[in-house]
Amino acid sequence: MAFYEENPGGITRADMVLAIPTFNEVEGIGRTTMQAAKGLAEHFGNLQSVIVNCDNHSTDGTREAFFSTPSEMPKIYISTSPEQQGKGNNLRNLFEKVRELEARIVVVLEADTRNVAPSWIRKLGEPILKGSGYVCPLYVRHKYEATLTSSLVYPLMRCLYGRRVRQPNVGDFGFKGDLVEAFLKSSVWTDSVQHFGVDVWMTTIALNARLPICQSLIGAPKVHRMKDPYAHLPVLFPQVISTIFELMMVYSDFWRQVKWSKPTLLFGTDTHEVETPVPAEVNVALLHDYFLQGFDKYHGMWQDVYDQTVCPKLEEIRGLGLQHFSFPTQTWAKILFDMAKAYAQAEESKRAILLDSLLPLYLGKVLSFVKKTERMSIQQAEEYVENECTTFEETKPYLLKVWE
Amino acid sequence: MPKILVVDDEEHIRLLYSEELKEAGYEVITAENGNRLLERIEEEKPALIILDIKMVDYNGLDILQDIRNRFYDLPVILSTAYDTFKEDMKSIAADFYVVKSFDLTELKKKIATALETSLPS
Repeated sequence: MAFYEENPGGITRADMVLAIPTFNEVEGIGRTTMQAAKGLAEHFGNLQSVIVNCDNHSTDGTREAFFSTPSEMPKIYISTSPEQQGKGNNLRNLFEKVRELEARIVVVLEADTRNVAPSWIRKLGEPILKGSGYVCPLYVRHKYEATLTSSLVYPLMRCLYGRRVRQPNVGDFGFKGDLVEAFLKSSVWTDSVQHFGVDVWMTTIALNARLPICQSLIGAPKVHRMKDPYAHLPVLFPQVISTIFELMMVYSDFWRQVKWSKPTLLFGTDTHEVETPVPAEVNVALLHDYFLQGFDKYHGMWQDVYDQTVCPKLEEIRGLGLQHFSFPTQTWAKILFDMAKAYAQAEESKRAILLDSLLPLYLGKVLSFVKKTERMSIQQAEEYVENECTTFEETKPYLLKVWE
Repeated sequence: MPKILVVDDEEHIRLLYSEELKEAGYEVITAENGNRLLERIEEEKPALIILDIKMVDYNGLDILQDIRNRFYDLPVILSTAYDTFKEDMKSIAADFYVVKSFDLTELKKKIATALETSLPS
């Protein structure tokens, strides 16, 4: 699939691949490449490694910046064709390259992370050497950072596949080279997977491959370029959720057998200094407005999709007003389960509107989370999330019933 | 009858857990610290471990990492007098935790859930 490749060292084999997917990342690629090279030299000096920039045909000089970064590690640049956008397509190119190089260990790092350090490469790569199949990082996060993960992706994935992977869609990870076969064979390769859905897609495939999963304590927050998380939500939300729902259809034989959940392996417990994350701001009035707007736009659809107990409950929640706002987790779990079923049954042309109708409810759930945890420490808020996950697991019999 | 290994350096806790859990239908074996614990687990093959966090000369959270690394899916319930251990991220490798109490209702509930947990192999 690679449209273009530059392999100045003529590398044909590698033990370890360090991959950096990009699209117009001239600003960050140099720093990330330098840290990656240091990490590989410091922690995996005995392995034959290569740094692969899998690009989306950037026009801002990303390729040139990648090659001009001083490094003793060999480098390969691969790119999709100009019309093939999306991180998923970059990673698909990577999977093919990993297969070709017969690499045993793969670590992927996002290019726009400002504080990536050589130790991160060890934390994502070493567990693979020790027998794990897939490694997700555990970044230090503020309680209101990545609410899509805390309120939806983590509890849903955990109750479906039975592993407590706290940050399953984070963008950086490590995996054993063999896993690319499962990625390349997957029957789900939608437009969403080719874009923002790819991270959760990879984790789901790894979970279903029954390989040991590891979480690695990074001990630091992940500092990105400044982004407004809510500005990207209308694009990010349907791509991530549709990917989860599509994979639910494929893996229903697996998740229907899962009862409760289990922890994963843990790496990086020798991390002594843990940084404090920067507080994430949330505009509760705006979240409330978005939630209320959902009633005008989607009330009819909600009545068609959800269990008969849900809509009266939503009316009740609306009646609470902002000050006393509370969205019960059991209702939220039933909403997601009903929506997953409706998505599976809907014609393809109707699926986008279904996901749009879920967004105001998700924002309502985030608002409820913010209100419940506003006086809590990060650790207390984390315990709150864990309790929400338990509620999802307790409500799973409802999913099994509606899915039949 | 599922076999439970209780690891605790306090004798009265080992006795309490043994008596109550035997009464609840479990086979119970005990260890007073982490000495040769992994070998013991290999030999005895318990279905579940109840692990004290603070033992003289032994840190239960470090033992937990060793157990998890060698026996990936073996259920471990942390047992502790204080819940401040949750500040240590190592604790997330446990299936559950309980605060020590003479009322074992919560512990028995967690044991039942842990033993009921199933993932396709």
